[in-house]
Amino acid sequence: MLKLIELEWKKLDRKKVIGEAITYWIILMFLPVFFLKVVFADMPMIRFGESYAAALELMISIQMGFILFGASLINHVFIEEYKNKTMALSFGYPLSRKRLVMAKVLFIVLAVFFGTLVSFVLGGVATYALNQVMDVISGTPTAADLANYAIRMTLHSIVVALASLIPLFWFGIWKRAVIPTVICAVFLMQFPNFLGLLRITLHPDFLYAIFSVLGVASVILSVKFVNKLGDL
Amino acid sequence: MNYVIQTSDLSKTVKGMSIVSRVNLNVRKGEIYGLLGPNGAGKTTIMKMLTGLILPTSGAIMLFGKNFSETSKEGLKRVGSIIEYPIFFEHMTAMENLQIHCEYLGYYDKRAIHQALDLVQLEGIEDKKVKDFSLGMKQRLGIARAAITKPELIVLDEPTNGLDPIGIKNMRDLIRTLNQEYGITFVLSSHILGEIEQVADRIGVIQRGQLVDEVTLSDIRKQRTDYIELMTSNVQKAAFLLEHELRISNIKIVQDQRIRVYDKDVSTSQITKLLIAHEIEIEEIQKYNSTLEDYFYHQIQGKE
Repeated sequence: MLKLIELEWKKLDRKKVIGEAITYWIILMFLPVFFLKVVFADMPMIRFGESYAAALELMISIQMGFILFGASLINHVFIEEYKNKTMALSFGYPLSRKRLVMAKVLFIVLAVFFGTLVSFVLGGVATYALNQVMDVISGTPTAADLANYAIRMTLHSIVVALASLIPLFWFGIWKRAVIPTVICAVFLMQFPNFLGLLRITLHPDFLYAIFSVLGVASVILSVKFVNKLGDL
Repeated sequence: MNYVIQTSDLSKTVKGMSIVSRVNLNVRKGEIYGLLGPNGAGKTTIMKMLTGLILPTSGAIMLFGKNFSETSKEGLKRVGSIIEYPIFFEHMTAMENLQIHCEYLGYYDKRAIHQALDLVQLEGIEDKKVKDFSLGMKQRLGIARAAITKPELIVLDEPTNGLDPIGIKNMRDLIRTLNQEYGITFVLSSHILGEIEQVADRIGVIQRGQLVDEVTLSDIRKQRTDYIELMTSNVQKAAFLLEHELRISNIKIVQDQRIRVYDKDVSTSQITKLLIAHEIEIEEIQKYNSTLEDYFYHQIQGKE
């Protein structure tokens, strides 16, 4: 399976994908400070700047942006391969479609997981560094804050990796549609904000758990139905 | 008999429409088998099923004597193919495409890549991106990819599509070389009779998703019925004279004014002399022999 995952990486237009990842990293690196300094400047009721512990919640919400990277990978690894018919090449090799789909899914999961993890690290370092000159977060990070950050960034990288697969079954394999896949990803990353607008109270961790379950369900359906929906 | 492919009642239905229906195909080891049929007859669908690109609705495929299905695709390690048109990762170079192919098949012989490129006369362009290739070059690269792992069977769907006359000849020569020197079995499809006739040992005629007939080209040639056809206004008298004077028994009157003589021992000059001697006017006389085209036309018409 590792070999198949490696081949998925080799088949990609790697420059393009790495370029996308770098773009996400750069944007997400500066977003926490941008929000604290600019967007929330006139909103005293928003208290992400009170402490590093509070800023972590903002960071988690911002890093959900990496779901978009997942949508982009679904596009490259599934939709483009169906449209370019290169999927036919893979079907012509002595491996089952289910195994092939699993390899592609695992590739996306690993890419989004590590991409998000790196983004958390870069975002954390950039926020800390910028805070030294811009003073948008009160106090200094404690060892407990750092440990909590490490745990939460790992857990949320897993959540983002799984949630990014929610569009896979319906929009990726069934409809093979790029734009709906991206719109779905945008909707998912903005969903917590929609809940706020609709005045629906839902514990964020519960929401992330639902996202993860939906992502896994999408993978199960994709693997289960690839023989029926996978014809070219 | 050693069969490379055998199908039994192979069928494919798409959205309630039967595309391929109960096809029982038999491809022998070492032969060049031509799937012949008009456009839309179901040739490509059959080939896609044979190479695992689409799954049959019903029926079974035996590849190298073993069951071939979505859960049992080991046979594909011994198969190379180009279905519809050669597909590549266009952003990658020729070399990278071939390397990826070899890695999927667990085949690690770097020399084989150069040998395959050399075989199709593409040596020296391995670092060029496939998106910059012409169709002919892609077709040749496709053959290189299909042959690189030295498969026992190569399936080519309309291999000369889009090629210029020189390209067509090169492709034909390449197929013959691979078949004769390396013993590779080929399954080719075409709707062009002349193409198939020049390379295939045996053909399967496909019409409306059904296998109408499977026959060797040598059998068709044996069955070729050479005949002399003459046109005269006095068909009855001419037929009488041919039967009694030249003792021809194999005569057929077709249409009102035409007679066909199937006796191979009689020449056109004998017939002409006889009829002129009896003052029977000959409007036209010509020797015909039935070709693969006639055979094919007959098969297709028979199923209409």
